[in-house]
Amino acid sequence: MLRQIKPKNARSKRALAKQEPLIVENPKTTLLLRGTSSSSLVNDLLTDLHSLKRPHSVKFTKKNDIHPFEDASSLEFFSQKNDASLLVFGNNSKKRPHTLTFIRCFSGKVLDMLELHVVQDTARTLQQFKGEKCKTGVKPLLSFSGAQFESPTLNAYTQAKNLFTDFFRGQETTTVDVEGLQLLISFFAGEDAEDGQKAQIQMRCWRIITKRSGQKVPRVEVEEMGPRIDFRVGRIREAEEGMWKESLKKAKGTEARVKKNVETDIVGDKIGRIHLGRQDLSELQTRKMKGLKRVRDTDGEEDVLELEDVISQDEDEDGGVEVKRQKVA
Amino acid sequence: MEDLQTTPVMSSVPEANTANADKSSVTVTKPIPHTYDLGNLLLNDANPLPPTLSSALLATTARECAQSLINQLLLTCPITSTPTAGVLMTLPPPITPLPREKSLPAKKEETKWEKFAKKKGIKDKKRGEGKMVFDEETQEWVPKWGYKGRNKSGEGEWIVEVDEKKEKERDEEGKGKTVRGEGRRERMEKVKRNERKQRNNERKARKGGGGG
Repeated sequence: MLRQIKPKNARSKRALAKQEPLIVENPKTTLLLRGTSSSSLVNDLLTDLHSLKRPHSVKFTKKNDIHPFEDASSLEFFSQKNDASLLVFGNNSKKRPHTLTFIRCFSGKVLDMLELHVVQDTARTLQQFKGEKCKTGVKPLLSFSGAQFESPTLNAYTQAKNLFTDFFRGQETTTVDVEGLQLLISFFAGEDAEDGQKAQIQMRCWRIITKRSGQKVPRVEVEEMGPRIDFRVGRIREAEEGMWKESLKKAKGTEARVKKNVETDIVGDKIGRIHLGRQDLSELQTRKMKGLKRVRDTDGEEDVLELEDVISQDEDEDGGVEVKRQKVA
Repeated sequence: MEDLQTTPVMSSVPEANTANADKSSVTVTKPIPHTYDLGNLLLNDANPLPPTLSSALLATTARECAQSLINQLLLTCPITSTPTAGVLMTLPPPITPLPREKSLPAKKEETKWEKFAKKKGIKDKKRGEGKMVFDEETQEWVPKWGYKGRNKSGEGEWIVEVDEKKEKERDEEGKGKTVRGEGRRERMEKVKRNERKQRNNERKARKGGGGG
């Protein structure tokens, strides 16, 4: 745990204020770090992830003696110290070769962890792909292909999907530059093999090329940009129920209010329902006929007052004036 | 431009359906239609894939996903083009439930005044009535405070009544104080008093809420 610091000057006060919880949050910072026996492949992939995630990413170069699934306290420390809630820990051992552990933190505590082993033969770094790369800091398009990601129960694949969405989505915005749609990160998971081996999660990064098609939308082509990583799923730590629930809480008033009585039908037409009150039929304007006109008699004052509104519109000027005069008298 | 004039005969991928094999096609048809979370620029493709995936299959699937997502974005999101910022697309709010980074900020501790006001049922005047008041003499709306504020009304008078006793006291005190500065001095006194209370409240809130 970090000790509570009491700010002694304006600068440290500002720095601490920046780390305070917000209603609308900043994009999450990612911290990339390596274990004591990391392989060069893992290091390269960490560098690639760093370059994909920039500018919301911090990369450490020193070795750290950490075993995330045994004791995550140092990771929590790093998370708090760097104000980073996404961590990737790379390590390589005989038992767990080329491992990247994705860790999510919530309020400085580990929320969930997912251990993924990189398949060494198929892995390619960003550098190994020739050709153009997309700009740094663009918000990527994400796609998840395969029935495994759509499982209704929580498993490694759905957790991976949620985690990768959180990891790569970048800044939460309402507007995006159309020019900036140039990176697609896609994840694939096939069916499990018949011999019981779990399916790999395959990550591919593509540069999007759009061509004119003569229609409203362009023809889209993709060109692999790297990195290319195939993951075997390792250990998982799921989020605790209460903590997960707490982390999904939304501030009051931030959610868009549901518009009542407005629907969209299958065709895409907007349909609104309007509630009119009960119609007052006594005031209904029917056809006027001379024979049905009430006879104007000036016996009592009440009678005349009752007539007032009818007179003001339909009758000649004299009638209206006459009524007024009587009222004053 | 030659992409536009490709012949429909070209179908090098045998099992892919003809619409997608066409090199100029912009439509994507899948047995299970794609679902989207446009706020995160995310696409879900629930169609099952075989256990072993060839790189060609990955490339075509990725292309279809990209095409489908871009189609959906361009056709459903409102697009505005500005000369300075380029072509901007407005995205709907994200759907996927993703955890926050930190818990929601704790509610601010009530200040001493807020507590008192609640107890007494005093409402915020600025909210309810507003800052402006109607001046009956000049028949104009004037602000209660600030520039040309009502609270400075007596300060600009060209002739002022002098209380003999108070004038004597001021003279004894020295420092060139006059009757004319009396209103302003009172106002400044109030401001200082309020600032003092504000500081007190802040200190109290830090002591109370800082530990959690």
